[in-house]
Amino acid sequence: MIYLKNVTISFGDQIILDNIDFKVNKGETAVILGPSGAGKSSLLKVILGLWKVDTGNVIIDGIDITNLSERELFPIRQRMAMVFQGNALFDSLTVEQNVAYFLRENKNLSEKVIREKVRECLSFVNLDDTENLYPEELSGGMKKRVAIARAIASNPEIILYDEPTTGLDPINSKVIIDLIKKLQKNGATSIVVTHIIRDALAVGDSLTLIEDGKLVASGTVDQLLTSDNKFINEFFYEIHDEAALLNQIKTKN
Amino acid sequence: MTTIEKINQEVASSFRRLLYRFQEYTLMSIEIFKGWKAAFKYKYDTLLEMYLTGAQSFPIVFLSGLFMGIILALEVGHRFSTFGAKTIIGRTVALGMVRELGPVIAGLLLAARVGAKNASELGAMQISEQIDALRAFGTNPVQKLVVPRTAAAVIMFFPLTLITDIVGILGGMLVSATSLNLDPSFYWKSAVYGLQGKDLFVGFIKPFIFGYFVSSISCTYGLSTTHGTTGLGRSTINAVVVSSIVILFMDFVLTKVVWEIL
Repeated sequence: MIYLKNVTISFGDQIILDNIDFKVNKGETAVILGPSGAGKSSLLKVILGLWKVDTGNVIIDGIDITNLSERELFPIRQRMAMVFQGNALFDSLTVEQNVAYFLRENKNLSEKVIREKVRECLSFVNLDDTENLYPEELSGGMKKRVAIARAIASNPEIILYDEPTTGLDPINSKVIIDLIKKLQKNGATSIVVTHIIRDALAVGDSLTLIEDGKLVASGTVDQLLTSDNKFINEFFYEIHDEAALLNQIKTKN
Repeated sequence: MTTIEKINQEVASSFRRLLYRFQEYTLMSIEIFKGWKAAFKYKYDTLLEMYLTGAQSFPIVFLSGLFMGIILALEVGHRFSTFGAKTIIGRTVALGMVRELGPVIAGLLLAARVGAKNASELGAMQISEQIDALRAFGTNPVQKLVVPRTAAAVIMFFPLTLITDIVGILGGMLVSATSLNLDPSFYWKSAVYGLQGKDLFVGFIKPFIFGYFVSSISCTYGLSTTHGTTGLGRSTINAVVVSSIVILFMDFVLTKVVWEIL
Protein backbone atom coordinates (compact mmCIF):
# COMPACT_ATOMS: atom_id res chain seq x y z
CA MET A 1 0.00 0.00 0.00
CA ILE A 2 1.14 3.54 -0.74
CA TYR A 3 0.22 6.09 1.89
CA LEU A 4 1.06 9.78 1.87
CA LYS A 5 0.23 11.14 5.29
CA ASN A 6 -0.26 14.92 5.52
CA VAL A 7 2.54 15.62 3.05
CA THR A 8 3.65 19.20 2.47
CA ILE A 9 6.41 20.39 0.14
CA SER A 10 7.46 23.91 -0.65
CA PHE A 11 10.23 25.59 -2.63
CA GLY A 12 10.92 28.95 -1.04
CA ASP A 13 7.57 30.67 -0.61
CA GLN A 14 5.83 28.45 -3.15
CA ILE A 15 3.84 25.57 -1.69
CA ILE A 16 3.86 22.64 -4.11
CA LEU A 17 1.88 20.11 -2.07
CA ASP A 18 -0.22 21.23 0.85
CA ASN A 19 -1.11 18.69 3.53
CA ILE A 20 -1.90 15.89 1.09
CA ASP A 21 -3.43 12.71 2.50
CA PHE A 22 -3.51 10.04 -0.16
CA LYS A 23 -3.77 6.26 -0.17
CA VAL A 24 -3.51 3.58 -2.85
CA ASN A 25 -4.22 -0.05 -2.06
CA LYS A 26 -2.21 -2.95 -3.45
CA GLY A 27 -3.22 -3.88 -7.01
CA GLU A 28 -5.32 -0.74 -7.40
CA THR A 29 -4.97 1.90 -10.11
CA ALA A 30 -5.29 5.38 -8.72
CA VAL A 31 -5.58 8.33 -11.05
CA ILE A 32 -4.47 11.77 -9.97
CA LEU A 33 -6.26 14.46 -11.91
CA GLY A 34 -5.78 18.18 -11.89
CA PRO A 35 -4.94 21.20 -13.99
CA SER A 36 -1.35 21.88 -15.10
CA GLY A 37 0.88 23.03 -12.24
CA ALA A 38 -1.43 21.55 -9.60
CA GLY A 39 1.36 19.39 -8.12
CA LYS A 40 0.44 16.04 -9.69
CA SER A 41 3.93 15.14 -10.96
CA SER A 42 5.45 16.32 -7.66
CA LEU A 43 3.34 13.72 -5.90
CA LEU A 44 4.93 10.96 -8.00
CA LYS A 45 8.43 12.25 -7.28
CA VAL A 46 7.62 12.20 -3.57
CA ILE A 47 6.42 8.60 -3.78
CA LEU A 48 9.60 7.60 -5.59
CA GLY A 49 11.69 9.39 -2.96
CA LEU A 50 13.20 11.77 -5.52
CA TRP A 51 11.88 14.74 -3.57
CA LYS A 52 11.98 15.04 0.20
CA VAL A 53 8.92 16.31 2.02
CA ASP A 54 8.93 19.24 4.45
CA THR A 55 6.36 17.68 6.74
CA GLY A 56 4.33 14.49 6.74
CA ASN A 57 5.23 10.90 5.94
CA VAL A 58 5.53 8.74 2.85
CA ILE A 59 4.82 5.10 3.62
CA ILE A 60 5.32 2.32 1.06
CA ASP A 61 4.10 -1.12 2.12
CA GLY A 62 4.45 -0.19 5.78
CA ILE A 63 7.95 1.28 5.42
CA ASP A 64 8.30 4.97 6.19
CA ILE A 65 10.62 6.23 3.45
CA THR A 66 10.37 9.90 4.43
CA ASN A 67 13.86 10.26 5.85
CA LEU A 68 15.68 7.41 4.13
CA SER A 69 18.99 8.09 2.39
CA GLU A 70 19.45 7.33 -1.32
CA ARG A 71 21.16 4.06 -0.37
CA GLU A 72 18.37 3.05 2.00
CA LEU A 73 15.77 3.98 -0.61
CA PHE A 74 17.29 1.72 -3.21
CA PRO A 75 15.54 -1.56 -2.22
CA ILE A 76 12.20 0.31 -2.16
CA ARG A 77 12.87 1.94 -5.53
CA GLN A 78 13.74 -1.46 -7.01
CA ARG A 79 10.09 -2.39 -6.51
CA MET A 80 8.85 0.72 -8.29
CA ALA A 81 9.17 2.12 -11.78
CA MET A 82 8.20 5.40 -13.30
CA VAL A 83 7.22 6.41 -16.81
CA PHE A 84 8.28 10.04 -16.97
CA GLN A 85 6.27 12.76 -18.66
CA GLY A 86 9.00 13.48 -21.21
CA ASN A 87 9.96 9.78 -21.26
CA ALA A 88 13.45 10.56 -19.90
CA LEU A 89 15.05 8.01 -22.20
CA PHE A 90 18.84 8.18 -22.11
CA ASP A 91 19.54 9.71 -25.50
CA SER A 92 23.12 8.45 -25.69
CA LEU A 93 21.89 4.85 -25.40
CA THR A 94 20.01 2.65 -27.87
CA VAL A 95 16.51 1.34 -27.18
CA GLU A 96 18.02 -2.00 -26.09
CA GLN A 97 20.48 -0.27 -23.74
CA ASN A 98 17.71 1.90 -22.32
CA VAL A 99 15.44 -1.04 -21.58
CA ALA A 100 18.31 -3.11 -20.21
CA TYR A 101 19.72 -0.25 -18.12
CA PHE A 102 18.28 -1.32 -14.77
CA LEU A 103 19.18 -4.98 -15.31
CA ARG A 104 22.78 -4.26 -16.35
CA GLU A 105 23.26 -1.73 -13.56
CA ASN A 106 21.73 -3.62 -10.67
CA LYS A 107 21.23 -7.29 -11.45
CA ASN A 108 23.89 -9.89 -11.81
CA LEU A 109 22.41 -11.49 -14.92
CA SER A 110 24.08 -12.93 -17.97
CA GLU A 111 23.92 -10.95 -21.22
CA LYS A 112 21.79 -13.72 -22.72
CA VAL A 113 19.15 -13.41 -19.99
CA ILE A 114 19.19 -9.61 -20.23
CA ARG A 115 18.75 -9.66 -24.02
CA GLU A 116 15.90 -12.14 -23.67
CA LYS A 117 14.21 -9.92 -21.06
CA VAL A 118 14.64 -6.83 -23.27
CA ARG A 119 13.09 -8.65 -26.24
CA GLU A 120 10.20 -9.74 -24.03
CA CYS A 121 9.58 -6.18 -22.78
CA LEU A 122 9.80 -4.67 -26.26
CA SER A 123 7.48 -7.35 -27.58
CA PHE A 124 5.02 -6.51 -24.77
CA VAL A 125 4.83 -2.93 -26.05
CA ASN A 126 4.80 -4.06 -29.71
CA LEU A 127 8.21 -2.65 -30.52
CA ASP A 128 10.04 -5.69 -31.83
CA ASP A 129 13.13 -5.01 -33.94
CA THR A 130 13.78 -1.53 -32.54
CA GLU A 131 16.66 -2.57 -30.27
CA ASN A 132 19.33 -0.76 -32.21
CA LEU A 133 17.52 2.50 -32.73
CA TYR A 134 18.30 5.62 -30.71
CA PRO A 135 15.51 7.58 -28.96
CA GLU A 136 15.85 10.44 -31.46
CA GLU A 137 14.90 8.04 -34.25
CA LEU A 138 11.56 7.15 -32.62
CA SER A 139 8.17 8.84 -32.84
CA GLY A 140 6.47 10.24 -29.71
CA GLY A 141 4.28 7.18 -29.27
CA MET A 142 7.21 4.79 -29.74
CA LYS A 143 9.28 6.71 -27.19
CA LYS A 144 6.46 6.39 -24.69
CA ARG A 145 6.25 2.66 -25.33
CA VAL A 146 10.02 2.28 -24.88
CA ALA A 147 9.67 4.18 -21.59
CA ILE A 148 7.01 1.68 -20.52
CA ALA A 149 9.20 -1.25 -21.65
CA ARG A 150 12.09 0.20 -19.62
CA ALA A 151 9.82 0.61 -16.60
CA ILE A 152 8.54 -2.97 -16.67
CA ALA A 153 11.96 -4.54 -17.28
CA SER A 154 12.54 -4.68 -13.53
CA ASN A 155 9.17 -6.44 -12.87
CA PRO A 156 8.00 -3.60 -10.59
CA GLU A 157 5.17 -4.01 -8.11
CA ILE A 158 4.33 -0.31 -8.37
CA ILE A 159 4.26 1.64 -11.65
CA LEU A 160 3.97 5.41 -11.71
CA TYR A 161 2.85 7.07 -14.94
CA ASP A 162 3.35 10.79 -15.37
CA GLU A 163 1.00 12.12 -18.09
CA PRO A 164 1.37 8.93 -20.18
CA THR A 165 -0.72 10.12 -23.13
CA THR A 166 -0.02 13.85 -23.19
CA GLY A 167 1.05 15.00 -26.64
CA LEU A 168 0.07 11.76 -28.36
CA ASP A 169 -2.50 11.36 -31.11
CA PRO A 170 -5.73 9.44 -30.26
CA ILE A 171 -4.48 6.18 -31.78
CA ASN A 172 -1.20 6.20 -29.85
CA SER A 173 -3.04 7.33 -26.71
CA LYS A 174 -5.26 4.28 -27.01
CA VAL A 175 -2.21 2.03 -27.45
CA ILE A 176 -0.70 3.42 -24.24
CA ILE A 177 -3.96 3.14 -22.31
CA ASP A 178 -4.32 -0.48 -23.49
CA LEU A 179 -0.77 -1.17 -22.26
CA ILE A 180 -1.60 0.31 -18.86
CA LYS A 181 -4.69 -1.88 -18.69
CA LYS A 182 -2.62 -4.93 -19.69
CA LEU A 183 -0.19 -4.20 -16.85
CA GLN A 184 -3.11 -3.71 -14.45
CA LYS A 185 -4.20 -7.27 -15.21
CA ASN A 186 -0.71 -8.44 -14.19
CA GLY A 187 -1.47 -7.14 -10.70
CA ALA A 188 0.76 -4.07 -10.56
CA THR A 189 -0.27 -1.19 -8.32
CA SER A 190 -0.42 1.87 -10.55
CA ILE A 191 -0.67 5.59 -10.10
CA VAL A 192 -1.52 7.53 -13.24
CA VAL A 193 -1.13 11.27 -13.30
CA THR A 194 -3.09 12.92 -16.07
CA HIS A 195 -5.31 15.83 -16.93
CA ILE A 196 -7.09 13.86 -19.66
CA ILE A 197 -10.41 12.74 -18.19
CA ARG A 198 -11.12 10.13 -20.83
CA ASP A 199 -7.85 8.30 -19.89
CA ALA A 200 -8.59 8.68 -16.19
CA LEU A 201 -11.97 7.03 -16.60
CA ALA A 202 -10.49 4.29 -18.79
CA VAL A 203 -7.91 3.08 -16.27
CA GLY A 204 -8.80 4.44 -12.85
CA ASP A 205 -10.22 2.43 -9.95
CA SER A 206 -10.17 5.61 -7.90
CA LEU A 207 -9.78 9.26 -8.80
CA THR A 208 -8.09 12.01 -6.83
CA LEU A 209 -8.46 15.62 -7.82
CA ILE A 210 -5.74 18.12 -6.96
CA GLU A 211 -5.73 21.89 -7.34
CA ASP A 212 -2.94 24.27 -6.30
CA GLY A 213 -1.23 21.51 -4.33
CA LYS A 214 -4.36 20.77 -2.30
CA LEU A 215 -6.44 17.62 -2.46
CA VAL A 216 -9.91 18.68 -3.62
CA ALA A 217 -11.70 15.36 -3.84
CA SER A 218 -11.04 11.66 -3.80
CA GLY A 219 -13.27 8.70 -4.52
CA THR A 220 -14.47 6.24 -7.10
CA VAL A 221 -15.34 7.30 -10.64
CA ASP A 222 -19.08 7.23 -9.89
CA GLN A 223 -18.70 9.26 -6.70
CA LEU A 224 -16.81 12.01 -8.48
CA LEU A 225 -19.01 12.10 -11.57
CA THR A 226 -22.12 12.55 -9.43
CA SER A 227 -20.57 15.07 -7.06
CA ASP A 228 -22.13 18.50 -6.45
CA ASN A 229 -18.73 20.15 -5.96
CA LYS A 230 -18.39 23.10 -8.36
CA PHE A 231 -14.70 22.55 -9.14
CA ILE A 232 -15.26 18.84 -9.79
CA ASN A 233 -18.13 19.62 -12.13
CA GLU A 234 -16.07 22.26 -13.93
CA PHE A 235 -13.24 19.80 -14.29
CA PHE A 236 -15.51 17.11 -15.67
CA TYR A 237 -17.41 19.49 -18.00
CA GLU A 238 -15.74 17.80 -20.99
CA ILE A 239 -17.41 14.49 -20.11
CA HIS A 240 -20.78 16.10 -19.42
CA ASP A 241 -20.52 18.04 -22.70
CA GLU A 242 -19.66 14.88 -24.60
CA ALA A 243 -22.60 13.04 -23.02
CA ALA A 244 -24.91 15.91 -23.98
CA LEU A 245 -23.51 15.91 -27.51
CA LEU A 246 -24.04 12.16 -27.84
CA ASN A 247 -27.65 12.58 -26.65
CA GLN A 248 -28.18 15.34 -29.22
CA ILE A 249 -26.84 13.14 -32.03
CA LYS A 250 -28.99 10.22 -30.87
CA THR A 251 -32.09 12.47 -30.76
CA LYS A 252 -31.40 13.80 -34.28
CA ASN A 253 -31.02 10.32 -35.65
CA MET B 1 10.91 50.89 -1.54
CA THR B 2 13.75 53.37 -2.09
CA THR B 3 16.53 52.80 -4.60
CA ILE B 4 19.04 52.23 -1.78
CA GLU B 5 16.80 49.59 -0.25
CA LYS B 6 16.40 47.91 -3.63
CA ILE B 7 20.17 47.83 -4.14
CA ASN B 8 20.64 46.44 -0.62
CA GLN B 9 18.08 43.74 -1.29
CA GLU B 10 19.69 42.84 -4.61
CA VAL B 11 23.18 42.65 -3.03
CA ALA B 12 21.84 40.49 -0.20
CA SER B 13 20.10 38.13 -2.60
CA SER B 14 23.23 37.87 -4.82
CA PHE B 15 25.32 37.09 -1.74
CA ARG B 16 22.83 34.40 -0.69
CA ARG B 17 22.97 32.88 -4.17
CA LEU B 18 26.77 32.90 -4.07
CA LEU B 19 26.79 31.16 -0.68
CA TYR B 20 24.25 28.62 -1.94
CA ARG B 21 26.41 27.89 -5.00
CA PHE B 22 29.48 27.51 -2.81
CA GLN B 23 27.64 25.10 -0.54
CA GLU B 24 26.39 23.14 -3.55
CA TYR B 25 29.91 22.95 -4.98
CA THR B 26 31.41 21.86 -1.66
CA LEU B 27 28.86 19.06 -1.32
CA MET B 28 29.54 17.98 -4.90
CA SER B 29 33.30 17.92 -4.24
CA ILE B 30 32.79 15.78 -1.14
CA GLU B 31 30.66 13.37 -3.15
CA ILE B 32 33.26 13.22 -5.93
CA PHE B 33 36.03 12.37 -3.46
CA LYS B 34 33.86 9.85 -1.63
CA GLY B 35 32.85 8.16 -4.87
CA TRP B 36 36.16 8.33 -6.79
CA LYS B 37 36.20 4.54 -7.25
CA ALA B 38 33.24 4.98 -9.61
CA ALA B 39 35.81 6.03 -12.24
CA PHE B 40 36.73 2.31 -12.37
CA LYS B 41 33.18 1.02 -11.96
CA TYR B 42 32.14 3.09 -14.97
CA LYS B 43 35.41 2.54 -16.81
CA TYR B 44 33.84 2.71 -20.27
CA ASP B 45 32.32 6.11 -19.44
CA THR B 46 35.69 7.26 -18.11
CA LEU B 47 37.49 6.06 -21.26
CA LEU B 48 34.89 7.69 -23.51
CA GLU B 49 35.23 10.98 -21.62
CA MET B 50 39.04 10.71 -21.86
CA TYR B 51 38.65 10.40 -25.61
CA LEU B 52 36.19 13.30 -25.84
CA THR B 53 38.22 15.51 -23.51
CA GLY B 54 41.66 14.48 -24.66
CA ALA B 55 41.82 13.27 -28.24
CA GLN B 56 39.15 15.63 -29.52
CA SER B 57 40.78 18.63 -27.86
CA PHE B 58 44.14 17.90 -29.49
CA PRO B 59 43.74 20.19 -32.55
CA ILE B 60 42.76 23.23 -30.53
CA VAL B 61 45.55 22.91 -27.95
CA PHE B 62 48.07 22.12 -30.69
CA LEU B 63 47.23 25.23 -32.67
CA SER B 64 46.99 27.51 -29.67
CA GLY B 65 50.29 26.23 -28.27
CA LEU B 66 52.00 26.68 -31.63
CA PHE B 67 50.83 30.26 -32.12
CA MET B 68 51.50 31.17 -28.51
CA GLY B 69 55.11 29.99 -28.85
CA ILE B 70 55.53 31.79 -32.19
CA ILE B 71 54.13 35.07 -30.85
CA LEU B 72 56.14 34.86 -27.63
CA ALA B 73 59.36 34.21 -29.55
CA LEU B 74 58.65 37.07 -31.96
CA GLU B 75 57.82 39.55 -29.20
CA VAL B 76 60.77 38.77 -26.95
CA GLY B 77 63.12 37.97 -29.84
CA HIS B 78 62.96 41.42 -31.43
CA ARG B 79 63.44 43.15 -28.10
CA PHE B 80 66.25 40.86 -26.95
CA SER B 81 68.07 41.18 -30.25
CA THR B 82 68.33 44.97 -29.79
CA PHE B 83 70.70 44.45 -26.88
CA GLY B 84 72.31 41.22 -28.13
CA ALA B 85 70.48 38.80 -25.87
CA LYS B 86 69.10 36.54 -28.58
CA THR B 87 70.70 33.57 -26.84
CA ILE B 88 68.13 33.60 -24.07
CA ILE B 89 65.09 33.53 -26.36
CA GLY B 90 64.80 29.75 -26.05
CA ARG B 91 64.98 29.90 -22.29
CA THR B 92 62.41 32.69 -22.09
CA VAL B 93 59.95 30.94 -24.39
CA ALA B 94 60.39 27.61 -22.57
CA LEU B 95 59.92 29.23 -19.16
CA GLY B 96 56.91 31.20 -20.34
CA MET B 97 55.29 28.20 -21.96
CA VAL B 98 56.00 25.61 -19.27
CA ARG B 99 55.34 27.70 -16.20
CA GLU B 100 52.46 29.90 -17.28
CA LEU B 101 51.20 30.10 -20.84
CA GLY B 102 50.97 26.36 -21.54
CA PRO B 103 48.87 25.43 -18.51
CA VAL B 104 46.79 28.62 -18.51
CA ILE B 105 46.04 28.69 -22.26
CA ALA B 106 45.27 24.96 -22.33
CA GLY B 107 43.22 25.36 -19.14
CA LEU B 108 41.17 28.24 -20.50
CA LEU B 109 40.55 26.56 -23.84
CA LEU B 110 39.55 23.35 -22.13
CA ALA B 111 37.38 25.29 -19.68
CA ALA B 112 35.47 26.56 -22.70
CA ARG B 113 35.38 23.25 -24.53
CA VAL B 114 35.04 20.70 -21.73
CA GLY B 115 33.20 23.03 -19.36
CA ALA B 116 30.56 23.90 -21.95
CA LYS B 117 30.21 20.24 -22.94
CA ASN B 118 29.76 19.02 -19.36
CA ALA B 119 27.36 21.78 -18.32
CA SER B 120 25.19 21.51 -21.42
CA GLU B 121 25.09 17.69 -21.45
CA LEU B 122 24.24 17.34 -17.77
CA GLY B 123 21.93 20.36 -17.91
CA ALA B 124 19.98 18.83 -20.81
CA MET B 125 19.77 15.55 -18.87
CA GLN B 126 18.54 17.45 -15.83
CA ILE B 127 15.76 19.32 -17.61
CA SER B 128 14.63 16.22 -19.53
CA GLU B 129 14.34 14.28 -16.24
CA GLN B 130 17.09 11.81 -17.24
CA ILE B 131 18.88 12.54 -13.95
CA ASP B 132 15.68 11.68 -12.05
CA ALA B 133 15.39 8.51 -14.14
CA LEU B 134 18.96 7.54 -13.18
CA ARG B 135 18.15 8.04 -9.51
CA ALA B 136 14.94 6.09 -9.91
CA PHE B 137 17.02 3.20 -11.29
CA GLY B 138 19.26 3.32 -8.23
CA THR B 139 22.19 5.02 -9.98
CA ASN B 140 24.04 7.80 -8.22
CA PRO B 141 24.25 10.56 -10.89
CA VAL B 142 27.45 11.98 -9.41
CA GLN B 143 29.19 8.61 -9.59
CA LYS B 144 27.83 7.78 -13.03
CA LEU B 145 28.26 11.17 -14.70
CA VAL B 146 30.52 13.46 -12.69
CA VAL B 147 33.26 11.13 -11.44
CA PRO B 148 34.15 9.72 -14.90
CA ARG B 149 34.18 13.24 -16.38
CA THR B 150 36.33 14.59 -13.57
CA ALA B 151 38.74 11.64 -13.69
CA ALA B 152 39.02 12.08 -17.47
CA ALA B 153 39.73 15.82 -17.12
CA VAL B 154 42.31 15.31 -14.37
CA ILE B 155 44.10 12.65 -16.44
CA MET B 156 43.87 14.30 -19.87
CA PHE B 157 44.64 17.93 -18.99
CA PHE B 158 48.24 16.95 -18.26
CA PRO B 159 49.16 15.47 -21.69
CA LEU B 160 47.26 18.27 -23.41
CA THR B 161 49.23 20.86 -21.47
CA LEU B 162 52.44 18.99 -22.25
CA ILE B 163 51.56 19.12 -25.95
CA THR B 164 50.85 22.88 -25.68
CA ASP B 165 54.25 23.39 -23.99
CA ILE B 166 56.24 21.33 -26.47
CA VAL B 167 54.51 22.71 -29.55
CA GLY B 168 54.91 26.25 -28.18
CA ILE B 169 58.64 25.76 -27.65
CA LEU B 170 58.98 24.26 -31.14
CA GLY B 171 56.97 27.16 -32.61
CA GLY B 172 59.36 29.55 -30.90
CA MET B 173 62.28 27.61 -32.39
CA LEU B 174 60.77 27.89 -35.86
CA VAL B 175 60.45 31.67 -35.60
CA SER B 176 63.87 32.06 -34.01
CA ALA B 177 65.45 30.13 -36.88
CA THR B 178 63.55 31.80 -39.70
CA SER B 179 63.04 35.38 -38.51
CA LEU B 180 65.77 35.92 -35.95
CA ASN B 181 68.53 33.81 -37.52
CA LEU B 182 69.14 31.85 -34.33
CA ASP B 183 70.65 28.41 -34.65
CA PRO B 184 67.90 25.87 -33.71
CA SER B 185 70.30 23.70 -31.73
CA PHE B 186 71.37 26.73 -29.74
CA TYR B 187 67.72 27.66 -29.12
CA TRP B 188 66.89 24.11 -28.07
CA LYS B 189 69.81 23.85 -25.62
CA SER B 190 68.91 27.23 -24.13
CA ALA B 191 65.28 26.14 -23.78
CA VAL B 192 65.96 22.74 -22.27
CA TYR B 193 68.81 23.70 -19.94
CA GLY B 194 66.99 26.85 -18.88
CA LEU B 195 64.22 24.84 -17.26
CA GLN B 196 64.69 23.80 -13.65
CA GLY B 197 62.89 21.18 -11.60
CA LYS B 198 60.85 23.90 -9.91
CA ASP B 199 59.61 25.18 -13.28
CA LEU B 200 58.57 21.72 -14.38
CA PHE B 201 56.88 21.07 -11.05
CA VAL B 202 54.77 24.24 -11.11
CA GLY B 203 53.96 23.80 -14.79
CA PHE B 204 52.96 20.17 -14.47
CA ILE B 205 50.96 20.36 -11.24
CA LYS B 206 48.65 23.00 -12.68
CA PRO B 207 46.84 20.89 -15.31
CA PHE B 208 45.77 18.33 -12.70
CA ILE B 209 44.28 21.05 -10.51
CA PHE B 210 42.75 22.93 -13.45
CA GLY B 211 41.23 19.70 -14.77
CA TYR B 212 39.59 18.98 -11.45
CA PHE B 213 38.12 22.46 -11.09
CA VAL B 214 36.90 22.76 -14.70
CA SER B 215 35.11 19.43 -14.57
CA SER B 216 33.66 19.67 -11.07
CA ILE B 217 32.46 23.27 -11.54
CA SER B 218 30.88 22.62 -14.93
CA CYS B 219 29.18 19.42 -13.71
CA THR B 220 27.82 21.27 -10.65
CA TYR B 221 26.32 23.93 -12.91
CA GLY B 222 24.95 21.27 -15.26
CA LEU B 223 23.26 19.25 -12.53
CA SER B 224 21.71 22.34 -10.96
CA THR B 225 20.13 23.55 -14.22
CA THR B 226 16.55 24.74 -13.90
CA HIS B 227 14.12 26.78 -16.01
CA GLY B 228 14.37 24.91 -19.31
CA THR B 229 16.49 25.92 -22.26
CA THR B 230 17.05 29.47 -20.98
CA GLY B 231 18.40 28.01 -17.76
CA LEU B 232 20.55 25.61 -19.75
CA GLY B 233 22.17 28.49 -21.62
CA ARG B 234 22.74 30.33 -18.36
CA SER B 235 24.29 27.27 -16.72
CA THR B 236 26.66 26.74 -19.64
CA ILE B 237 27.80 30.38 -19.66
CA ASN B 238 28.25 30.40 -15.88
CA ALA B 239 30.18 27.13 -15.98
CA VAL B 240 32.67 28.51 -18.52
CA VAL B 241 33.00 31.91 -16.84
CA VAL B 242 33.45 30.56 -13.31
CA SER B 243 35.86 27.81 -14.47
CA SER B 244 37.97 30.41 -16.31
CA ILE B 245 38.09 32.72 -13.30
CA VAL B 246 39.02 29.84 -10.99
CA ILE B 247 41.80 28.79 -13.39
CA LEU B 248 43.30 32.29 -13.34
CA PHE B 249 42.95 32.53 -9.57
CA MET B 250 44.46 29.08 -8.98
CA ASP B 251 47.28 29.94 -11.38
CA PHE B 252 48.12 32.95 -9.25
CA VAL B 253 47.89 30.92 -6.02
CA LEU B 254 50.08 28.09 -7.32
CA THR B 255 52.68 30.44 -8.77
CA LYS B 256 52.81 32.42 -5.54
CA VAL B 257 52.99 29.31 -3.35
CA VAL B 258 55.75 27.74 -5.43
CA TRP B 259 57.82 30.97 -5.41
CA GLU B 260 57.36 31.26 -1.65
CA ILE B 261 58.02 27.65 -0.75
CA LEU B 262 60.44 26.26 -3.34
